[in-house]
Amino acid sequence: MSEQTISSTPGRFGRLYQGLTSIDFVGRRKIWFTVSALIIVAGALSLGIRGFNLGIDFKGGSSWEVLAPHATVQQMTNAAESAGLSQPTVTKLGSSTFEVEGDLNALSPSQQTNVTDNVVNAMAKVAKVNSNQVSTSSVGPTWGAGITHRALEALIAFFIAVLIYISARFEPKMALAAFAAMVHDLLVTVGVYSLFGFQVTPDTVIAILTILGYSLYDTVVVFDRVRDNSRGVLNNGNMTYSEMINLSMNQTLARSINTSLVAILPVLSVLLVGAYILGATTLQNYGLALFVGLVSGAYSSIFIASPLLAVLKEREPRFKDLRLRVASRTDRLVLTPAAAAAMTNERGTTTREAATGTARSNVIQARARKQKRR
Amino acid sequence: MASSNSSRRSLVVSLVLTLAISFGALFATLGAGWSPKLGLDLAGGLSVVYKPATHASLSDLQEVTSVLTNRVNGLGVSGAQVNLQGRDVVVSVPGVTNARQVLKTIGQTAQLLFRPVVCYATAPSSKAVEVAPGKLPACGSSYYTSPANLGIVVAPNTANGYTGPNNIADDPAFTNIKSTSPQNDFKNDYVLLPVLGQTGVRYVLGPAELTGKAIKSALAQENQSGAWVVNYTLTSAGSPQWDKVAEANFHGLLAIELDGVIQSAPLIQPTQSSFTSFGGTGEISGSFTETSAKNLALAMQFGSLPVRLVPLTTETVSPTLGHSALVAGLGAGLAGLALVLLYVILYYRALGLVILLGLGLTAALLWAIISSLGHTALAPSFDLAGVTGLIVSIGITVDSYIVYFERLKDESRAGRTVRTSVDRGFRSAWRTVLAADFVSFLAALLLYLIAVGDVRGFAFFLGLSTILDVLVTWYFTRPIVILLGRRSGAGNSAMSIAAGMGSGATDE
Repeated sequence: MSEQTISSTPGRFGRLYQGLTSIDFVGRRKIWFTVSALIIVAGALSLGIRGFNLGIDFKGGSSWEVLAPHATVQQMTNAAESAGLSQPTVTKLGSSTFEVEGDLNALSPSQQTNVTDNVVNAMAKVAKVNSNQVSTSSVGPTWGAGITHRALEALIAFFIAVLIYISARFEPKMALAAFAAMVHDLLVTVGVYSLFGFQVTPDTVIAILTILGYSLYDTVVVFDRVRDNSRGVLNNGNMTYSEMINLSMNQTLARSINTSLVAILPVLSVLLVGAYILGATTLQNYGLALFVGLVSGAYSSIFIASPLLAVLKEREPRFKDLRLRVASRTDRLVLTPAAAAAMTNERGTTTREAATGTARSNVIQARARKQKRR
Repeated sequence: MASSNSSRRSLVVSLVLTLAISFGALFATLGAGWSPKLGLDLAGGLSVVYKPATHASLSDLQEVTSVLTNRVNGLGVSGAQVNLQGRDVVVSVPGVTNARQVLKTIGQTAQLLFRPVVCYATAPSSKAVEVAPGKLPACGSSYYTSPANLGIVVAPNTANGYTGPNNIADDPAFTNIKSTSPQNDFKNDYVLLPVLGQTGVRYVLGPAELTGKAIKSALAQENQSGAWVVNYTLTSAGSPQWDKVAEANFHGLLAIELDGVIQSAPLIQPTQSSFTSFGGTGEISGSFTETSAKNLALAMQFGSLPVRLVPLTTETVSPTLGHSALVAGLGAGLAGLALVLLYVILYYRALGLVILLGLGLTAALLWAIISSLGHTALAPSFDLAGVTGLIVSIGITVDSYIVYFERLKDESRAGRTVRTSVDRGFRSAWRTVLAADFVSFLAALLLYLIAVGDVRGFAFFLGLSTILDVLVTWYFTRPIVILLGRRSGAGNSAMSIAAGMGSGATDE
């Protein structure tokens, strides 16, 4: 072999970059499934015991915000209490924004207006600004339920539309696997919110819906490659369905990692710059849910959706047969993406001849098939 | 190849046109002085979501929407929007600085009711409590503000044209009773209500005899002697009803009540010795100031909601906090974008620069589109949720490039030249981009259709940038990468296309 470029053994990143990975995603599925199951069970337990940390949008209540660089939490608390707000919660957001929360829903509407105005004036006085500089928000006790209801409607409609679309464009089993990955992301995000006591707001609900779209987007890209390969590579008869999925996964791994990074970087920036430094709560709410969900979504499209698809497909008679036939062959190959690319060319799907020699010998890595099945 | 040449020409045309349209649109928008219409959480302002207190038909809700729209426009506030979203009425007034005052005027959500005044009541004592609806004690007969007790006498030669009304004392029976609160203010009960702008002055009112539906329009005007009056017109159905009520209360006081507050309690035709039909119009005069006359006219004309509204959520944002949120959002977006660009340029080298140019193009298009939509008030205003939608879309936009470039790497690993890779790679990447963007668009569309408030802005801008992504991939990424690939011949410099594709690529 004239394998100069390869024998220099690139590092992990280099192997990914050059398409030399051959990670057995399907074979190790029990590890991935167990990790996810643990997180989901922990989340479910926490949800059962502690529930959610619901924001005022769900409980009902009022909140006030003002920019007051020179005030203290104690001053704000005193001001809010003397203005007639019982048990106010005062938090400092970012470097200079103060948020006061309290519940006025027990009062009559006119009293609510009065107390709201009093608190506005009191906070403006502490912050030494005009009362127009104080932001207010008041939420009735049924608002959150309404939002949740709409979100559930959107969620169900989305699930149905997605199942139909993937079934039509790809196939029903892929729809099922993609659906499972989405449910996984939903459960993980919900569980993480309960576990860490992050506050749930309507923004969180929106963000979760977005994540599901994104997770699916990620999965669709991988499945698109699986579909391509199931036409090409599979017909050779020297690869089982699972191995074909592994190949597809390794082929799209660089993409998956890049895409996830590219998606997570701005969201992380929203979370850090927007929320913690500058104290914009809406950004913080979105950023947190998106961050948790994107990480889960990146994980599920790699480690849940595709292995699950392999499990589902391997039950079909023709792929069982294929598995038997493949097992009887001796010229088994575990392909790296680079090797598979070279093979496609070798089979003559195009007429290019230049440079194939080096490329092919560079990258095919023959390797004994693992006998052990976990 | 001949086909290659003609194709090359169309690629160049496509690329040049796309660049010209995008940056042309940007400069046109900037030149026209259009800028995105900022949502209230960025510009400051007011937003309220109302829900009908009782079951309301769709036509009721549409009437509510138009009444509220009139009311908001009547305040002289620009850019205000009143929308029906599902069964919720969403009012948003961006850019106002005195949000809480505006809120009070819009927030007068009750029905306008006309009730006869039964007696005057004393101011409430500190021990006063509210009684259950309908359990108000009756006025003492000597305190009745009946036409007989008021004793109006027509006197054409006096300034007013009449004498009276007689002084009638406040009924002390109500000292320990609080005014009826708006939620206990039922149409068919006797109620005890305060008078607008007069501390401690309260009247006991009888059951409502007419609602604001009878009023077609009301206008504050100065009469010949320069005093402010409110002229009103009745609807064709309201006119005979009004006459009936007015006749029953002739020379008595008829209170105009809005949201548990008596706006005015005029005497009926004190200058006439016998009742005459109003004939569909009337005038309320008295000690009005310009403001109080205008407020009464507004209340009479627009106070007539077919259902009572309950605020679900109320939000006012100060302009300074809005500004700091805008800075935070932009800062976060730009920082995230910079990180992403740094990463892709390091990873893809020359191809990373294609992403940089592509994102610049997308940004130019987005700015032009958002500004134009903001100018025509078609799109949701650009708020923090929208900013987040755009930030999320960075990932989806850049991913289309990544899918393509990873395909290029595959192709070049298969030993193909850059020249062939760019064509073949695009064909397979294009299908993937379409499938994936479709799913993303589907999510955005469903969110937009089903959700309320902020969510719509988020979904709108996410969906918009998904569509742009598809267009930019076809009209920009495809031509530029294919053209670059064909020109590629400069060997393996660090910034060549091949450098971005890993070791397998060979330049021709």
